[in-house]
Amino acid sequence: MTTVLTPPRRRGRPVRPGTPGHRRPPLFTGAATLLVLLLALLGPLAAPHSPTAQLAAPFQQPDGQFLLGTDVLGRDVASRVLGGGRTIVLTALAGTAAAGAVGMTAGVLAAMASRRLGDLLVRCVDALAVLPALLVVLVLAAGFPGSAAALVAAVALATAPFSTRVLRAAADTVLNSGYVEAALARGDTRRAVLRHDVLPNIAGPALMDTALRLVASLHLTATAGFLGLGQGGAAPDWGRMVSENVPGATLAATPFLAPALLLVLLSVCVGLLAGRLADTVGRGTA
Amino acid sequence: MNLLAFAARRLAGAAVLLVLLSAAVFAATAVLPGDAVSAVAGVDASEAQRAEVRAGLGLDRPAAERYADWAAGAVRGDLGNGFVGERPVTDVLATRLPNSLLLAGLTLAVTAPLAALLGLWTGLRGGGADRVVSTSAQILAAVPEFVVAALLVAVLAVWLEVLPRVSVIPLGGTPLDAPHALVLPVLTLSAVGLAVATRLLRASVADAAATPYCEAARLNGVRGVRLAVRHILPNAAGPAVQALTLTTGALVGSAVVVENVFDYPGIGRELQLAVAARDVPMVQGIATALVAVMLVVLLLGDICARLLGAREGDDR
Repeated sequence: MTTVLTPPRRRGRPVRPGTPGHRRPPLFTGAATLLVLLLALLGPLAAPHSPTAQLAAPFQQPDGQFLLGTDVLGRDVASRVLGGGRTIVLTALAGTAAAGAVGMTAGVLAAMASRRLGDLLVRCVDALAVLPALLVVLVLAAGFPGSAAALVAAVALATAPFSTRVLRAAADTVLNSGYVEAALARGDTRRAVLRHDVLPNIAGPALMDTALRLVASLHLTATAGFLGLGQGGAAPDWGRMVSENVPGATLAATPFLAPALLLVLLSVCVGLLAGRLADTVGRGTA
Repeated sequence: MNLLAFAARRLAGAAVLLVLLSAAVFAATAVLPGDAVSAVAGVDASEAQRAEVRAGLGLDRPAAERYADWAAGAVRGDLGNGFVGERPVTDVLATRLPNSLLLAGLTLAVTAPLAALLGLWTGLRGGGADRVVSTSAQILAAVPEFVVAALLVAVLAVWLEVLPRVSVIPLGGTPLDAPHALVLPVLTLSAVGLAVATRLLRASVADAAATPYCEAARLNGVRGVRLAVRHILPNAAGPAVQALTLTTGALVGSAVVVENVFDYPGIGRELQLAVAARDVPMVQGIATALVAVMLVVLLLGDICARLLGAREGDDR
């Protein structure tokens, strides 16, 4: 998944201000992202009906009472759409935070440790990276059915290997630089070097890596919802809404199109922003 | 090192990895044996019934012993029976895996030439078309597969009514008996795969085009299709194949999702059903088989890349 999200390398063209390489800040994408995130997080408060109550016949067309019609079980689609984004966003954020913490620790440790130990750590991480991300999620969901914490752990486990490798490389570059050598030579402790030299200098790559990880986490969390993993039951979830309502696609389109389009908006906006961030940071450090 | 020794070394590494990962899969699914018991015995079973079921499934023994038994069976080609319906796991693999491989093969056949074309075009030309294609590929790669599938269903099956929504395959037949059922799954997977492959190929084409070797060819008057096919593609193919095999994991995931959207009788559908039914032996067997498939693909990718002349790099 990471390879997919690395920014396209530019051909050796120098970037001058005013050329297409120097782009305006992504105001539109940023605004759209903010909007869909707010909708996902605050939506449950604005729901006009209960998202889990059966209020009418299944697959009713949109009308004044049900703005987006009713779903396969006769629940209000608008309320479910408003309520269904929060779990996805929060799970993805939690998974990203956990993966970031694990990747940061493991990556910096691998870089600071002796070469042999560091290589061993990276080899273990590589072994984990062979597992398809979705397989990790499915296997953990089989072991811990219906657990939201297991889903977060699975998302973190599936994405952390890439973070570890990226951050180890970044920390390695800093550790091999002249100023770290100078700091160590004048008697700074490794702790001080870590705090004042390494961490501030890998903040950029770490931020970029976290953004790419968030894209992957959202992708994975939405898919887990679609496959009915994680917290089950009647609670609304955009992914699960698509799987519930696609069989009735010929009867009513809004119950599956609305959550699907919101997921497109969410993943595209976050993806574009992350790509942009990676581009900017990548150019700054290159 | 010659190719055979290289392949043998990689094969040994892959075998060790398979053992480790199968142990990890086993550990992740076997830590909560109580749950498997309630799945089989039912939630309202009495304590005596539960103990009986637990003994019957062999879950009263320590996990390490169960893993050793399971691994010994796996080496002999016996992955045990699923809890649900007592089906042998190997039977399920034998009937479902070929269907999934058919899906993967068809996707590859659609994707590879298109990705080569788009990657060469965008990597060499640059400019506006490059930006459009690269951005669309980036967008497509970010959207979850099931959403792409749902949108395709909306357009092709509901709005235009040209294709069936689910893959209804005659009982006992193969997907080839109902070719139209394959169209939507292959289309979805190809869209996702094309987005991934185009971006990777574009990057390595751009790298190859920037080499002094290609500059020299260009200065010698080699241009257009001839430059692309004779000089760029052979140089770009190795890194691209290597990068592509690294995305196999993501594509296995995509296949699982797509099979579930269209009720396609593949191994991914079976895995999701097993997870939903808490059928632990089935999950272990299928997951291990998928990991094995992944490792084989990675191995083949490494060998291909080596044949195509890519450097081994930093042994990734």
